[in-house]
Amino acid sequence: MSDGITRRDALGRVVRGTVLLGLGSTAGFLINKAEGQVVWQVDTSRCVNSRLGEAGAEVCMLCTTQCVVAQSAVRAINSFRDCGRCYVCPAYYNIRSAVDERGLPSEKLCPRDAIRRTPIGFVDPEDPANNFYEYVIEEEKCDGCGLCVKACREPLGLGSIVLKVRHNLCVDCNRCAISIACPHDALFQHKVADALEPTLARQPQP
Amino acid sequence: MGSMHYRRLPNVRRDGPDSRFATALRGLAVDRRDRIYAVGDAEVKIFDRDGRLQRRWPTSRPGCSVAVDEYDRVYVGETGQLEIFDATGRLADVWRHASRLGRVTAIDFAGGDVLVGDANDRAIRRYDEHGSFMNDIGKNNRMQGFLIPNGVIEFAVDRAGVIQAANPGKHRIERYTLDDRLLGHIGRFDGVDPAGFPGCCNPTNLAVDVRGRIYVTEKADPRVKVYNDDGTLVAVVASEGFDPNCKNMDIAVDSRGRVYVTDPVRLDILAFETEGAAS
Repeated sequence: MSDGITRRDALGRVVRGTVLLGLGSTAGFLINKAEGQVVWQVDTSRCVNSRLGEAGAEVCMLCTTQCVVAQSAVRAINSFRDCGRCYVCPAYYNIRSAVDERGLPSEKLCPRDAIRRTPIGFVDPEDPANNFYEYVIEEEKCDGCGLCVKACREPLGLGSIVLKVRHNLCVDCNRCAISIACPHDALFQHKVADALEPTLARQPQP
Repeated sequence: MGSMHYRRLPNVRRDGPDSRFATALRGLAVDRRDRIYAVGDAEVKIFDRDGRLQRRWPTSRPGCSVAVDEYDRVYVGETGQLEIFDATGRLADVWRHASRLGRVTAIDFAGGDVLVGDANDRAIRRYDEHGSFMNDIGKNNRMQGFLIPNGVIEFAVDRAGVIQAANPGKHRIERYTLDDRLLGHIGRFDGVDPAGFPGCCNPTNLAVDVRGRIYVTEKADPRVKVYNDDGTLVAVVASEGFDPNCKNMDIAVDSRGRVYVTDPVRLDILAFETEGAAS
């Protein structure tokens, strides 16, 4: 061929173009599939354990008892942004239990001992109240019973602990057993793409 | 606990639209003539000692706290500023400071000084009567301020000029001098014994009467109590009658010993007096 373009070059360009087109199409297909895929999540504004205005209500444990996953795919998480780092955390301690010699509640609230309490910085030896404390939920122990969520709810706490479906544990049932049992319609499906949004609340339906 | 008992009186009236708060009721005070001052929405409302609305006027921003000095000047704490009105509601002065007056949730007076609680910085500010800043109180500690997960600074000055300040995260009432010396504290955590302070953070609000008794409110569950200045519980004033979701219920005590408490959820002002008190 003239201008130095051989038949081999032309053929190579066609092949490379075809491969790139194929890769692009595949990527587009995967993205579309991901955006269309839905996952289950807890609407914290509907969950009776976390929603405001539920003072005195009994804790709901349906996420623990109804999930088909053995230890439930719903776990409690603590948002450090919202946590008060209190000396006496009502989600960590059973604040109705007798006071011990340290002046703290003698019992923990979590039946699985899934909350870890760590002082931030060194503890003032003369006054342990003179400190902030970090509360971390150990997810491998948590079964989503919601006791800590209810105890942390406003106005007793700051509402920093909520229940959340962990997608690495959830088996994505078409009809989630918890959602069927939940009387407050607090389990809902949303797109994977929306799961990247910071809000945990249900988006308004168009 | 002593043998003093309180009974509930009719709420401060809200029988007309002018006497009601629409969306928020945050601050409460009584003056030397036992008139009741309440702030919320973006308005000051003044009720007579029998609870009838006497006067109201707007504030430039929603009020978080209110106090009345011996000259009947009305101080309203807001976000970023303090508005000072004369007794007729005419704006006399505004002290502005974005950081020192971040969110003013308590005001009281000591001698000629004005003390304001800034919840944003978890400290009490001391100003002279002209609005010149003098010093901080309660900030010179390891926590660099009061522990207030409930979101309000609250204090009152007793007759001896000592600041009684709620430190709810420590379940205490701390005493400070005007020059920021911690004199001591009363109170302890206890979720069962009513003499203690329950929950994560109580007491949330307090007032002091002329005898030095300290009146406190608690959240979750809402409760009103009275302590002697040595920390002994005198009486539980009330543990019902409030919306259970209440928190930061402001409190004031008049010269007759009547106790007024806000219900910020129902936007009511509840009143109590001791059994046998002359109404």
